[in-house]
Amino acid sequence: MRIPSLFTSVCLFVTMAPGLGLAAGLNAEMTKYVQVLEAQTKKQETGFKGFDAERGRKIFFDARPNDKTGTISCATCHTSDLKKSGKTLVGKVVEPLAPSVNKKRLTNVKDTEKWLTRNFKQVYGREGTAREKGDVLKFIIAQ
Amino acid sequence: MNHLKKISLAVLFSGIISSFAMAGEARGAGATAVPGQVSSKSYLKECGACHLAFQPQLLPKRSWEKIMSTLDKHFGDSATLDEDTRSEILAYLITNSAETSSSKVSKKMLASIGKAQAPLRITETAYFKRKHREVQAGVFKRKSIGSPANCTACHPMAEKGNYDEHKVKIPK
Repeated sequence: MRIPSLFTSVCLFVTMAPGLGLAAGLNAEMTKYVQVLEAQTKKQETGFKGFDAERGRKIFFDARPNDKTGTISCATCHTSDLKKSGKTLVGKVVEPLAPSVNKKRLTNVKDTEKWLTRNFKQVYGREGTAREKGDVLKFIIAQ
Repeated sequence: MNHLKKISLAVLFSGIISSFAMAGEARGAGATAVPGQVSSKSYLKECGACHLAFQPQLLPKRSWEKIMSTLDKHFGDSATLDEDTRSEILAYLITNSAETSSSKVSKKMLASIGKAQAPLRITETAYFKRKHREVQAGVFKRKSIGSPANCTACHPMAEKGNYDEHKVKIPK
């Protein structure tokens, strides 16, 4: 009786530990979301060692060609300082993205997923992969 | 003569009183106001995240239907929503479209749009163009404004549906 339960907890710890490492400060639903991204990435990439804020930073600042604006990156609307407010292409204020100054950020999976999907399409013309989403989230969390 | 004076005074007074009433919530009847503030939380959250949640009374039903069925290519951007949210917002827009409104803005807007047309932009309607004919194209491109769709830049009370030209402040 004791052995299987100990075995279960060890398994749980092993599977959850990397997720918890990345998702520090995230609430339960967001932590779970990041873990799902992680599991997807493991399936897609052999030798995946966890999400990387530096790769996320590159994704955030990479400027791509755009019909309307010449070039566009995440920073076009969010600005290069994530602690500051930005502006959408039509001039509406975008509240800061950094969770350290905007507690509402990265608290709702539905919203986070919606914006990741939309904004990857906006900048890259395609949806982000699980790895890219995880990397960019890790970069944003650290802000 | 005295009698006439009394009448004209009465007319003057009623005019003043009614103009005070107009300044209140009844301002919706004025030419530059749309009655009622946008009340749909989903509309404000989803559409209002990127641009002003334009009053549904500013476009006909057929325009809203077209806009909400082409969200994957929303003026070149992806603005897709999950189906529940999309249909909820569409229902709100249709229930409050220009046809349902008795305001002058809605009536003039509808009159300026051909029956077979379903404009996707408020700014492409003849009514919008006529009301902004004195604004030079370069003004809309100023960094402080960005686009003619940024109503709030010059109409500080746009979110409340008030586009009164006396309230206009054009930023440098």
